[in-house]
Amino acid sequence: MTPAVQFPLLNDRPTIQVSLPRPSGGPDLFRTLIADTGAGTQRSVFQIVLQLSDCLQCGGIPITQVQLTGAYTGSFPLFLVRVRIPRINFDEPVPVVGVMQIPRGFDGIAAFRFLNRFHYGNFADPACVGLDLLPTV
Amino acid sequence: MTPSRSIAAINDQLARQINSDARHHPGSPYAGKIVGIANGQVVVVADTWKEVADRLRQIEPDPARCCCIEASADYDRVDEIWSWA
Repeated sequence: MTPAVQFPLLNDRPTIQVSLPRPSGGPDLFRTLIADTGAGTQRSVFQIVLQLSDCLQCGGIPITQVQLTGAYTGSFPLFLVRVRIPRINFDEPVPVVGVMQIPRGFDGIAAFRFLNRFHYGNFADPACVGLDLLPTV
Repeated sequence: MTPSRSIAAINDQLARQINSDARHHPGSPYAGKIVGIANGQVVVVADTWKEVADRLRQIEPDPARCCCIEASADYDRVDEIWSWA
């Protein structure tokens, strides 16, 4: 079975690529996120972690603060940011945490709650991460 | 305090109040809903983030003067992001 979209590993780690439309116009920002099932849980109030500057540049609407521990400790701003994965027609506003520092080599983190919105995995190709939309009920 | 900073503080205070009410009173009209606030007032109550984002954009194009909240969510919980080696 081949997924609708596949992304190559980067630095030997799983990634997905998203685009972030800018309300002021101009080309979308393309961002490569590390796919990290260890980031948050299914009950987390955030789905993605991005640079704070990306949240602001993409017209993120403030939500509130979120409390993190582990790789990030303390209180961080949460924004509603429009996120697209064009090849699977995903285009929705998503709660995103804005931080000052991102894991080296990546532009952000696709947390568990975001990944779990999709059928995701290597789909029998260990060099890639594949995504498909979940079937609608 | 600049005007937009002041509006942001008012929006945030209202969002926290809605969140607290909805979590402590399941009969609250906001319970289970997503609420959009612009310029210190509730302007949209909906079931999805998309509905709220679309409506807020129509009403107030400046995101710094808007706020939104999942009324019944627990924003006080501490979430862990595992550290990278």
